Amino acid sequence: MVSIQDLSFSYKRKSVFKGLDLNLQAGHIYGLLGRNGTGKSTLLRNIAGFLFPQSGRIDALGFDPRHRQPAFLQQVFLLPEEFYLPPISITRWVEHAARFYSLFDMDQFYKYTTGFDIPMQGGMQEMSYGQQKKLLISFALAVNSPLLLMDEPTNGLDILSKSQFRKIIAGAVDEKKCILISTHQVKDLENLIDRILVIEEGRILFDQGMDSIAQRLSFTLSFDPEETARAFYSETSLKGNALVLPNTEGEDGRPDLEMLYKAIILAGEKINQQFES
Amino acid sequence: MNQTFSFPRWQMLVASHWAEHRKRYLLALMAVGGLLAGWYSFLLLIDHFGPLNLFIQYATYYCGLFLVGCFHASTVFSELGSKSRAIQYLSIPASHLEKLLCGILFGVVFFFIAFTIVFYIVDIPMVSLANRIIAGEKQHWPNTFQSIGIVGVLDIWNNQWAPILDRKYHFFLFAYFAIQSAFLLGSVYFARWSFIKTVVALLLFWVIFILYVQKGIAEHLPNGWHPHDLVRWANNSDNMLPASMVALPNPMERILIFLMQYSIPPIFWIITYFRLKEKEV
Repeated sequence: MVSIQDLSFSYKRKSVFKGLDLNLQAGHIYGLLGRNGTGKSTLLRNIAGFLFPQSGRIDALGFDPRHRQPAFLQQVFLLPEEFYLPPISITRWVEHAARFYSLFDMDQFYKYTTGFDIPMQGGMQEMSYGQQKKLLISFALAVNSPLLLMDEPTNGLDILSKSQFRKIIAGAVDEKKCILISTHQVKDLENLIDRILVIEEGRILFDQGMDSIAQRLSFTLSFDPEETARAFYSETSLKGNALVLPNTEGEDGRPDLEMLYKAIILAGEKINQQFES
Repeated sequence: MNQTFSFPRWQMLVASHWAEHRKRYLLALMAVGGLLAGWYSFLLLIDHFGPLNLFIQYATYYCGLFLVGCFHASTVFSELGSKSRAIQYLSIPASHLEKLLCGILFGVVFFFIAFTIVFYIVDIPMVSLANRIIAGEKQHWPNTFQSIGIVGVLDIWNNQWAPILDRKYHFFLFAYFAIQSAFLLGSVYFARWSFIKTVVALLLFWVIFILYVQKGIAEHLPNGWHPHDLVRWANNSDNMLPASMVALPNPMERILIFLMQYSIPPIFWIITYFRLKEKEV
């Protein structure tokens, strides 16, 4: 669905990507993680055609995104972190904006807005940031675009809305769609994503499915110093040391995304070796 | 589906643009009408002899058109000045050509029509009021027995009251569309302060152009010769009247004037199109 080869991109003097390769397949929800300033949003905007790579190639749904052709824009929806909604009523906005998307489903849109408990009366400018965001998420999902890019979608959402978000996203994906979610808040993506991408120093440092992670790594609490010494990453807590270990028992456990992320950032090479072996 | 231009898609874009901006546009037109009425009322208060004569109406129309039209054009692509708005705008599934044509429709065509309508909505009753005042006061022109006649309403297509240079070629009208198209380009080119930056850029361009015509070309002319205008060069030695003059052949002069009248806006629109295509956010 999306193929990125040898992507290089920089802002004036600051280099962001150098030879980045990435493939995204339909039927998956990808979690894109990385430190501040590593280029998560920049990558999304390169895929959506709002930024142009200096070199390398991006193929998204058979299009070169930089041309921003209408047929491409119909099939890709970017939910940006900072967004704008015009100062008009929701119904008027949806009526006009939805016309551009042939797969837009109005019933689905109202189902999502009801699920998010969004007040449909009044203008969009009178809504809170969180409500506006939920409205845009509802719209983005109702567009039914094969490729949905979300930049920090849970920022500004309350606890109940975050849970509703996970529920809605899980129900929205099918074998024809690909969702790429960039976030700092890894906890918000737990039980939602099925593949994790970590971006660091201008390249994809880690790219694995959650099943594979569960098979290769184990996440446990332990006071055992021997186990702690074997761990890729350890963190002290009152309940014992939280560890990311190689999964030698072959038991499938539930990956702790936050621990995994820290382990990848601090011991990325070792972790990757564990997946190569 | 045509990826460059589709009329139904363009119609959707126009409808969407209108839905989003109509409140602002209508309020802006009301403000323009209010300012015109205020200016005319001021003139009626201070001038008892020939208020709102045709020259005043002419100057008011063109000053308003240039100022408001250029300012409006510099906001046509103002979405591109902010990251969040630019993403929303550029992600609309319409081609760059459709977006440009939508901008030209609202920024150039509709604005010109709307401004002209608002001008006449204010102008006709105010001229009628001025005529009632003149008739009521029965005044004469100062130091004469000639009574002040009634004032007519300006016909913007009939240039008989325009300054001499404008009478033949509708110079101001064409200059307006040319300058406005530069402001339209400025609204894509400059992310912030596009109106001010375009004014500065145009002034710089104007200074360079004048220097080139007056100094650059003059240096290549024989002794005693100097530029008379853009297509004539004169040798007046010591006299005020040109002793001799060289001009471009008449067909070439007409072609040049034709190009200056009609080619500048499309050239700027084409540049705007490419800037829009290359816009990154």
